[in-house]
Amino acid sequence: MRPRRRLGSLLLALNILALAVVLFYAAKELAIPTVAEWLYKNDYKELVFKCDSVMRDHFIAKTLVLHSPTDEAIRNLHAAEVGLLTCHNYDVLRKQLISFGLSENDLSRIGLEAIEERAKDVRTFVETHEIRY
Amino acid sequence: MFARLWRHMKFATSTALAIILALSITVWGADEKAFPQILRKQVLENGFMPAKELYINKDEGLVPVGKIVFETKKLSLNGNISCQTCHLSQFGSADGIPNAAAIGGTGEGPQRLLSGAKLLPRNTLAFWGRGAKGFETFFWDGKIDFSNSKKISQFGSQPPSDDALVTAAHLPLVEIREMLDEDEFVLAHKQESVGKSGEVYRVIADNLRKFEPQASKSLAEYLRKPVEQLTYTDYARSLAAFIRSEFRIKETKLEKFTTKSEPLSAEELRGGLIFYGRGRCVVCHSGPHFSDFKFHAVPFPQLGFGKNGFGIDLGRFNVTFDPKDLYRFRTPPLYNVVKTAPYGHSGSVATVEEAIVAHFDPLRLLNPSSMEPLARHELYKRMTLGSETATTVGFLTTDDVDDLKKFLNALSF
Repeated sequence: MRPRRRLGSLLLALNILALAVVLFYAAKELAIPTVAEWLYKNDYKELVFKCDSVMRDHFIAKTLVLHSPTDEAIRNLHAAEVGLLTCHNYDVLRKQLISFGLSENDLSRIGLEAIEERAKDVRTFVETHEIRY
Repeated sequence: MFARLWRHMKFATSTALAIILALSITVWGADEKAFPQILRKQVLENGFMPAKELYINKDEGLVPVGKIVFETKKLSLNGNISCQTCHLSQFGSADGIPNAAAIGGTGEGPQRLLSGAKLLPRNTLAFWGRGAKGFETFFWDGKIDFSNSKKISQFGSQPPSDDALVTAAHLPLVEIREMLDEDEFVLAHKQESVGKSGEVYRVIADNLRKFEPQASKSLAEYLRKPVEQLTYTDYARSLAAFIRSEFRIKETKLEKFTTKSEPLSAEELRGGLIFYGRGRCVVCHSGPHFSDFKFHAVPFPQLGFGKNGFGIDLGRFNVTFDPKDLYRFRTPPLYNVVKTAPYGHSGSVATVEEAIVAHFDPLRLLNPSSMEPLARHELYKRMTLGSETATTVGFLTTDDVDDLKKFLNALSF
């Protein structure tokens, strides 16, 4: 009687362990990434767009200083540099989402969705995809 | 069995959510700690000065006299209007209406507008910080500008005072429709001549001596001269002293954040980083008063008849006659800006949010197809000449604009 009870307890413990492992992997591979995407998808899209904008603005601000190094142009460049903090926010969120289990493919897909949502005319598609020298 | 499984699932889900919550707090928290320090550095590097350092008033003793001159309608030769009529505390030291409602009206603010007052083509300016350190450019078009060695005023090479605010206090009371009505005396002296205007100032000083004897006596005692020799410039000195004192810049939340390390809210912090960063507001709104005191064309909608008539206001061009200055207006200082609605040189936008939008997306505020052709043509010119501003200011979302407003509110006192 005793060995049977012990075996029963062992099987129950193994069952619980197996369930815990399954649940852990299900959470890690499925639940957490899904919840994280649901929670942060819109923030991420917004930051994809904003980071793209501030990088472009920063590039223009740099060229402006090269062509006409006035006090205003220099202040403009400094502001554009502070504006790049947006890309820091983008990096932080990207890192966070990766740590939550989202893959590079997932992040690329969300980024493309952000572009699609903003691309309401042909011009936007051209700007996104044209080759620039 | 199922109950047990359900309990395990609940435990796993709760754990996952707890992990997410904990991670989001720790990851965001760690990286955003640097932002307040970055903002503080930007504020200081772009000319911020504590309120106490901005205040200068050589004639502190004249403040009580200046208060009387500010409030008396005898300052107006024939218009029954005082400075206070249009500079009211309940409207943040302006009048709360788009175009100033001057002589010929009754009441204050909107009530005055509806009472048949003569309208001026521009929005009444608030008084915050006027005459403080670094504030030497006055009016929308900078017609008084003592910021450089070449002092610009309507008095040519002989301004009545070396003090820009005292000189500025000479203008509204000789501006027809503003504080002066066109009677026989005014028509006889209505010439662009310093001598003729001198006669008008002499009569105004006589009026003040007659109707404000106590204030005149105090003024004469302070200046150590006989009452009979008081000139309008003496009264203007007292006005300047009062304006400096009454509308001085006081400590703001931003100052406490910058100098005492007190916190800003998350929205204010984000707004600050937009102001000094992505929005590029700081390119023009820099310096101790959050203005470069230069002139820029921002395509605000035009409201009212306009300084140049038919809904046209050529802005700074009216002062310099330089085509480069067409449609340009002085960068507005930003202390207490959230209290001084409406906004723009003609008061055409009602909220701070719209005023921000006018800088980067002006067409959002208008419906061009329903505009009069001339108004649309003028808008086109303002937008073309405002391209410098348009290429500087960054694109902002609605949330960004809200955050920016919260930051501007931290400049209130």
